[in-house]
Amino acid sequence: MSNLTKILIVLLTISAIFLCGIVVTYIANANNYKEKYTKLSSDRAALEQEKESLNNQLKEKIQQKDDLEKSLSNQVASLKTKADDLQTKITGVEREKAELLERVNSWASITKDFQATTDKQTQLLSTAQEDVKQLKAEQIKLSKELDQTSAAVVEKSALIDAAEAEKRRLIEEKSDLQNRLDKVAQAGGKVGVAGAPVTQGKGKAMPAQATTETINLKAQISEVDAKLATISIGSADGVKEGMRFHVTRGDEFICDVLIVNVDTDKAVGILELVQQSPKVGDNASTNL
Amino acid sequence: MGPEAQIRSIKPEATSNLYTVILAVALGVVLATAAFVAVKCYFDYNTLFTIP
Repeated sequence: MSNLTKILIVLLTISAIFLCGIVVTYIANANNYKEKYTKLSSDRAALEQEKESLNNQLKEKIQQKDDLEKSLSNQVASLKTKADDLQTKITGVEREKAELLERVNSWASITKDFQATTDKQTQLLSTAQEDVKQLKAEQIKLSKELDQTSAAVVEKSALIDAAEAEKRRLIEEKSDLQNRLDKVAQAGGKVGVAGAPVTQGKGKAMPAQATTETINLKAQISEVDAKLATISIGSADGVKEGMRFHVTRGDEFICDVLIVNVDTDKAVGILELVQQSPKVGDNASTNL
Repeated sequence: MGPEAQIRSIKPEATSNLYTVILAVALGVVLATAAFVAVKCYFDYNTLFTIP
């Protein structure tokens, strides 16, 4: 056997062992594709079933979505109708609110005027109460004077009774003397004549005749409020509280103004018997 | 008998048993590898040559 043959034998053996090792290693580590295929097939079948069930669920969900969409569409339509109704109601309510605000404003002005009138009435009331107090004091004073006068009257009555008794006695004496005189005169052929009284009787007391004076003030309306009016003359022209001015426009009667406050050049009064609303420039006079 | 017939009738004889053993080992390794591959294929795919 040659050396070349020996070398070839050794190389053949080594290469066979090496290649067989590689093959064994590869085969031992190779994947089991059948098992993988089976597993993937089962997974695919399971996924197919899951897909089908999910498709069914999707169809059910779509059906539910359609039903829900229909019901929601109906609800949206009804809610739109309600919204329109509510919008109409809101418009009506806003209109009513505006009207009520106007009423509130008018009532506020009326209340303000009423408050001013009440204040003036309160002032008038306080003035009247002071007048009442003064009148009560005067009444007490007059009562005292009346008592004194009554006592004097009683005393004078007693004197008058005594005087009348004296008068009756004197009349009786006069008639007695007249009878005696008649008897004496008849004896001499004469008749007694009653002589005229020496003292002249006083006449009856007559009440003094009442005299009136016409005021006849004329003015013009200078300011007009809701319940009050101001005239263009005051205390300098003779205007006093409690006077009543008649307001006219041409030949037309407008109202009366009862004076409640007097200044030197103007006076303020309450409107009464209002036929029309007075205006600035209307004539006001105490006599029509 | 001629010289050629004498040559043919001579039985070959290995010159060294060592290299014979080495060749036997190599053959055994190859056969074992083939058997392993066959067993592996049979147990994994239930066949040796066909594709399932």
